[in-house]
Amino acid sequence: MKHDRTQKDFLELIHRHQSIIHKICFVYCNSSHDREDLEQEIILQLWKSYPSFQGKAAFSTWMYRVALNTAINLTRRPGLFIDTSSTHELSYDPSDSYHLSEEIQILYKAISRLKKIEKALILLWLEEKSYEEIAEVIGITVKHVSVKLVRIKTRLAEIISNLI
Amino acid sequence: MKSLDLDSLKSVWKNERSFEDRKLSEADIELYLSKRSKDIGSLFKTGLVIDIVLKGIIGLSFLGIILLFKEDPTLVILGSVIFLGIVWAIRYQWLMITKIPPTGIEEPVVRTTLEEKINFYHQKYIKSLYVGAVSNALIILAGILYYFYFKYGEIRPFQWDDYLVFSATILIGFALGAYVQIAQHRFQIKQLESCLQEIDEDLISTLTLREQRNKKRRLVLVFVLALVCGLLLLGYFIFR
Repeated sequence: MKHDRTQKDFLELIHRHQSIIHKICFVYCNSSHDREDLEQEIILQLWKSYPSFQGKAAFSTWMYRVALNTAINLTRRPGLFIDTSSTHELSYDPSDSYHLSEEIQILYKAISRLKKIEKALILLWLEEKSYEEIAEVIGITVKHVSVKLVRIKTRLAEIISNLI
Repeated sequence: MKSLDLDSLKSVWKNERSFEDRKLSEADIELYLSKRSKDIGSLFKTGLVIDIVLKGIIGLSFLGIILLFKEDPTLVILGSVIFLGIVWAIRYQWLMITKIPPTGIEEPVVRTTLEEKINFYHQKYIKSLYVGAVSNALIILAGILYYFYFKYGEIRPFQWDDYLVFSATILIGFALGAYVQIAQHRFQIKQLESCLQEIDEDLISTLTLREQRNKKRRLVLVFVLALVCGLLLLGYFIFR
């Protein structure tokens, strides 16, 4: 009974804040199959972590943290006969899943060329998180965040200028 | 297309509505909850559970060998030693499950999570993979003993080349099992290591890497020695 109640609350909260999951999947996935896998994994990890959520931070902040951590920690399995890293990447268009503006589509193409941690940093920056918050989520110093973000933004700007 | 700077993209991102528009229903979310996690921690756990079940079956098969060859004290001793070894290995794998870094921390930090998983793999889980690979060697050994029983009703005297063939088969079974498991996990652990290196390139110092490499070499040596000793013991009991 209590479990049902907890699950119901959880489902409601996830349903309300699910745009966070979509944003993270948008940044980290190169195929619709990847996106489905990551959506599922994030929701599972959130469910496993839900009992530890004590409401010290806002639910959305906590959700962001768990979801981002899951996206970074989810690894590809070795493919024996197919190159799983590139086959989907070429054909995947995020507009199939989201009705995106042209600018966001360009941003997607640029972000997809970044590494995993770079993606996390740029996503947190896009979400207007403070350097202190970013440092806390990633586990580095505020100064390090600042240095990394300068470098990533320069790189991203270069990629974007080549794309348009 | 007009030129785009990052700050203007940031405000476009902020106002982008499509992420809000895409909706998973509560039924979709509930369906995801019923599925199995693909996280590396779950992969460790699944591997350990499969090995425990497999070792349980192998243990039963050795009990069968003890019963079938109950007239032969050498084989009864050998079977009993192996059975006790299997019981120890099952306990070892079971304890390993409890050491898998837990999920469900209230405020996970990316670097800490990566470190915990990588350290668990290098310091603990890799030993489990070797313990797991022993299953292959034991399956072959049990298979040989059952073959002899059903074909000849006894263990026939061995020539030197028989020892060579059987020892090599058992050894290859062990090595192949360990290699496949380690290769599969290394592929995934490398992805986590590259994330950690990306966070802070000085984090995994050259010294730590060297220590891990030396530890791995020592482990391989210990397992190979243990296996060779086991085979010699087997040879001694059969040949005596």
